[in-house]
Amino acid sequence: MNVISDKLHVENNKWIGTRTIRPDGADKVTGRACYAADNVMPGMIWGKVLRSPHAHARIRSIDTSKAEALPGVKAVVTARDIVDFPLDKSVMLGIQDMRWMCRNVMAREKALFHGHPVAAVAAINEEVAAEACRLIEVDYEVLPHVIEIEDAIRPDAPILHDFLTFEDKPSNIAGRMEAKLGDVEAGFAQADVIVERTFRTRPVHQGYIEPQACTVSYAADGRATIWSSSQGQFMVRAMTSLLTGVPQSNIKAIPAEIGGGFGAKTIIYLEPVALLLSKKSGRPVKMVMTRDEVMRATGPTSGSLSTVRIGARRDGTIVAAQGTFYLQAGCLPGSPLRGPVGCSFAPYEIPNVLSVGYDVVSNRSKVAAYRAPGAPLGAYATESVLDELAGKLGIDPLELRLKNSAKPGSKAAYGATFGKVTFEETIEAIRTHEHYRAPLDKTPRPGVKRGRGVASGFWYNAGGESSAQVNITEDGNVLVTTGHPDVGGSRASIANVTAELLGIEHGRVSVQIGDTSSIGFSNLTGGSRVTFASAMVVTQSTEKVITQLRERAARIWKIDPEAVTWENGEARPAGPNAGQFPPLTLTELAAKANEMGGPIGAGVQLNTTGADPGFATHVVDVEVDVDLGIIRVLRYTAAQDVGRALHPSYVEGQIQGGVVQGIGWALSEEYLYDRQGRLDNASFLDYRMPVCSDVPMIEPVMLEIPNPKHPQGVRGVGEAPIVPPLAAIANAVHDALGIRFTSLPMSPPKVVEALEGA
Amino acid sequence: MTDRITLVLNGSPVALPPDTSPTTTLLDWLRGPAGLCGTKEGCAEGDCGACTVVLEGPDGGRAPVNACLVLLGQVHGCAVRTVEGLRGPDGAPHPVQRALAEADATQCGFCTPGIAMAAWAHAREGGSVHEALAGNLCRCTGYRPIIEAFAGLEDDGAAPPSLPPVGGATFAAGGQVFHRPASLAELLALRAAHPEALLLAGGTDLGLLVSEGRQRPPAVIHLATVPELGAIAADAGGITLGAAVPYARLLPLLDGSLAPLAGLLARLGSRQIRALGTVGGNLGTASPIGDMLPPLLVLGATLRIASVRGERESGVEDVLLGYRKTTLAPDEVIVSIRLPRPPDGAVLACEKLSRRHDQDISAVGGAFLLRVAGGRVAEARLAFGGLGPMAARARHAEAMLTGALLAPACFADAAEELAQDVAPLSDWRGSAAYRLAAAQGLLRRLYWRVAKPGLPAEVHAL
Ligand SMILES: Cc1cc2nc3c(=O)[nH]c(=O)nc-3n(C[C@H](O)[C@H](O)[C@H](O)COP(=O)(O)OP(=O)(O)OC[C@H]3O[C@@H](n4cnc5c(N)ncnc54)[C@H](O)[C@@H]3O)c2cc1C
Ligand code: FES
Ligand code: FES
Repeated sequence: MNVISDKLHVENNKWIGTRTIRPDGADKVTGRACYAADNVMPGMIWGKVLRSPHAHARIRSIDTSKAEALPGVKAVVTARDIVDFPLDKSVMLGIQDMRWMCRNVMAREKALFHGHPVAAVAAINEEVAAEACRLIEVDYEVLPHVIEIEDAIRPDAPILHDFLTFEDKPSNIAGRMEAKLGDVEAGFAQADVIVERTFRTRPVHQGYIEPQACTVSYAADGRATIWSSSQGQFMVRAMTSLLTGVPQSNIKAIPAEIGGGFGAKTIIYLEPVALLLSKKSGRPVKMVMTRDEVMRATGPTSGSLSTVRIGARRDGTIVAAQGTFYLQAGCLPGSPLRGPVGCSFAPYEIPNVLSVGYDVVSNRSKVAAYRAPGAPLGAYATESVLDELAGKLGIDPLELRLKNSAKPGSKAAYGATFGKVTFEETIEAIRTHEHYRAPLDKTPRPGVKRGRGVASGFWYNAGGESSAQVNITEDGNVLVTTGHPDVGGSRASIANVTAELLGIEHGRVSVQIGDTSSIGFSNLTGGSRVTFASAMVVTQSTEKVITQLRERAARIWKIDPEAVTWENGEARPAGPNAGQFPPLTLTELAAKANEMGGPIGAGVQLNTTGADPGFATHVVDVEVDVDLGIIRVLRYTAAQDVGRALHPSYVEGQIQGGVVQGIGWALSEEYLYDRQGRLDNASFLDYRMPVCSDVPMIEPVMLEIPNPKHPQGVRGVGEAPIVPPLAAIANAVHDALGIRFTSLPMSPPKVVEALEGA
Repeated sequence: MTDRITLVLNGSPVALPPDTSPTTTLLDWLRGPAGLCGTKEGCAEGDCGACTVVLEGPDGGRAPVNACLVLLGQVHGCAVRTVEGLRGPDGAPHPVQRALAEADATQCGFCTPGIAMAAWAHAREGGSVHEALAGNLCRCTGYRPIIEAFAGLEDDGAAPPSLPPVGGATFAAGGQVFHRPASLAELLALRAAHPEALLLAGGTDLGLLVSEGRQRPPAVIHLATVPELGAIAADAGGITLGAAVPYARLLPLLDGSLAPLAGLLARLGSRQIRALGTVGGNLGTASPIGDMLPPLLVLGATLRIASVRGERESGVEDVLLGYRKTTLAPDEVIVSIRLPRPPDGAVLACEKLSRRHDQDISAVGGAFLLRVAGGRVAEARLAFGGLGPMAARARHAEAMLTGALLAPACFADAAEELAQDVAPLSDWRGSAAYRLAAAQGLLRRLYWRVAKPGLPAEVHAL
């Protein structure tokens, strides 16, 4: 059971909800923060990966002898050095199947995409390592490849894996997921209006600015230390252990400052390879990806082919909804089917739902998680269809959503029965917002049209395992250790919580991220869980510390601990009956700690629960240049239930950052392949993420409706913001042009083509 | 005999060991031998800005540049400031850094050192915040807090560095030679002797060979120290621009009738790219989507080209030969460019179509010079980039428009006629059909530019 603290509804907090300067801020603005590529070790050498030049090829043999003979080369590894996970038995680590992970880290039987690692070298410098890679001779049997979903699911498609079958035939469909409620066909029979459309999205990359990097030192005693950029040092430890056979107890994974991940750094590429190179060479090995490698060979999110059908009565009551979502997994199974299958219809109370997802492999890099994995592409389809439905019914699109919104007790097709639901509040927040009410001049200039669109979104949010340790230093300050890499400001939020609970100045609390040997197991930074879960364990740890502090004061005063209260950073006698003693401050108690029972500190390890889902509703105005096909986002307002904003700036930051990623997804970002199955735009120069002038000042509307299952009322906020933008923008473009874009991105060429066809 | 590369790093003079490869990128040197890891590498191709450092001019100017594109031989005699050098002597963060921290303008923080440097330069140089930030990608914040922090920056008034002028130099190490000729005669002699050497102006095209391509060019001839190539002067008739003058120095001179070109130039790359990149380099690369080429074509710019054999003058059209090909002989160098002002009463429009507004390579570029008299088009010069193997005038469309009524229909006719002029290619930046359609859109748009001069200067301005 999680403790529900009485702090929940306390107003006038001193630190919670304030914009304190983040603990890691000074290091970041001065360039002192240490990221994985900044780490340097004595004796360190450089690792480099040789990658497949083919999109699909059987590896007949690999000859590394010439590379090994090159002066300066210290080690070479191939798939033979990586632990094999046979294809007939699944071994899971979280949601990752090690059969796929071992083949993703190093191609085994086949190279499955252009850029797939086939070998790696460690050498005294990067030039020698690169030269050695050129000397490795790989005998490939080139096979036909397949890139797009439509091609991969055709009966005559080249098959990537002969062990995958679907409906008893060899297939590129690696799996199916279904969520069901009621009887859809019976539901559609009751509908007066039905809208059905098919949508396409392309894979987009998470686009973190920091390429993957690590340094691994494997010592003669069999112990390994890993410094790397990841969304979970415990994941790094476990996955590296599984892939190298080194026991977890012999691996210390140290989380470097992480330069962005957005989900992609919940799996690893380099660490096991670097460990094996270090083991063979006896030297610490550093590996840093180039941007080209990041784009080509780390997971983007799935592209998709979705068909959504929604039926409603004339009064706007939705009676049935059906979704079929084909997702690109990349070269090995594992699309985020749960995103579109579960989230697409979840905000609505619909009696009859059938939502089916298919996991489709093709010769692309294996996908990785990206912010609300899979949910945005599902919402793009659903929320576009709802917009069309609203038009057909003559109902305001927000009204239609309100009318059908999930309520407490509503059952979602994915299985949940909702407790508190805060969807309506987000719709109301937009409906009453000045932005939504402001008139929009739809033809401001010749050749230019404007439109406004809305869309909503849902994300599950997550709890899970977290650990924290709160220690009082001898000089009376506070050191908090948690086990989650901080991607978006969680240290700032935790500092606010700890200072608040202890009633001390914010500056006296330091928050650090522990390595795997100094803090208990903590699951990934992902699923919008970190602030939720770590605030919970830190709260419980701090409450234990406060109990200890009260006991110490009681001992000094020789009274009962129950007769001591903790207020404003001091122990005080609880009322006149407890006795007359001057208060004891944290500093005074810390100074006396050792004579009065030893060090003060407490840790909590917990599998946290109670992370209720997140809802968001967005409104956007766009402008379309009808001659040139250019779409600009003029204004964007995003309302979301954030539970409690422990540090408002970082909640706003999550919303603003997520929306801007959504704008890129909708308008300019896409993976483009050439005929040979090679990624054509594997650089920031050619993969178009928004720069500042591409986006307006995103306006977040934070609705603070406390989550009753969390001590401070926290609700996950990081992922929901990227769910609505794709559809919201497409709906706004429809409002401007009367053209519904069913394929993303809405790049100028596509817009011009659509306008010519219109 | 080799010279040593010297520079001022964060206020202190540094002389690099003689065996330093002169084509090491500044970024690799900072993060490696110099031990300054605050400057980050996000792409090694000039696009993310995580590697932004500032070149401090002796005049107090601050030029943000991408350390990943700059070669050590290029910064000989320069003052370089990195994020580590922004801290005050007492170790406290600089006000610019404080402003970013206080605005919560950093999340993961990987972009932040580069943004701090861009901010420090912006605090002195001014201009629009969007323009100042276009060369810095941030994937976390959505930019809002960064823009807010930039809006309130103030110059710290720090004195410029004292930089003794360095003369010509030659750096030789590890089988590489990097020449910095100090006179035109020296340059031409070197060029004649080493036709295979890379001719390096700003290096924003060539730097990629080293930065991204990891090549070690055996011979480089750097142009920035040749006085004739570094001079710029404006007069009533136009601008005479040394071929190695960075865009950033040209931009403030593009006023009056040349202002539309300034609007385009402000979108070429980013501030970081414009601090290094040159018109000479744009001509030398001769890319069909070089942004400067269509305007040079319609303005009738002329080039002064020199070699040991003598000098010649040539129009831009005569120099462009094909896809990334020029008529320059192996021993020839572009010395300067004469950019005439548009004739009185003429309208100049410069357009650029790209997915992003800033820091993007064009899918289609266009420049148009129109003279209107008595309700008719008296003269039309139209040039496009991205519609064929090289930037070129559109003669059929020009003929169609010349003498036509100033009416939307006539511009639409010219747009139709454009199909006769061009043979666009399809690539992922746009299909042939899109490129043609968009170019036609630009021509139709030209009517409004001429008829309603009040329209925003840029196609996607608000
Ligand atoms: C991130 C990024 C963004 C960019 N954005 C744009 C953009 O928006 N628009 C655009 O047009 N370009 C863009 N570019 C390309 C480049 O910046 C321009 O082409 C620029 O004009 C090149 O100038 P430079 O001085 O840096 O050339 P360099 O790299 O120094 O040289 C380029 C070529 O020109 C030759 N050359 C240079 N000077 C002379 C001379 N005087 N005589 C004879 N040959 C010479 C060189 O030998 C070389 O072959 C971008 C590049 C990057 C990296
Ligand atoms: S590292 Fe990205 S611009 Fe230099
Ligand atoms: S703060 Fe992460 S990229 Fe800017």
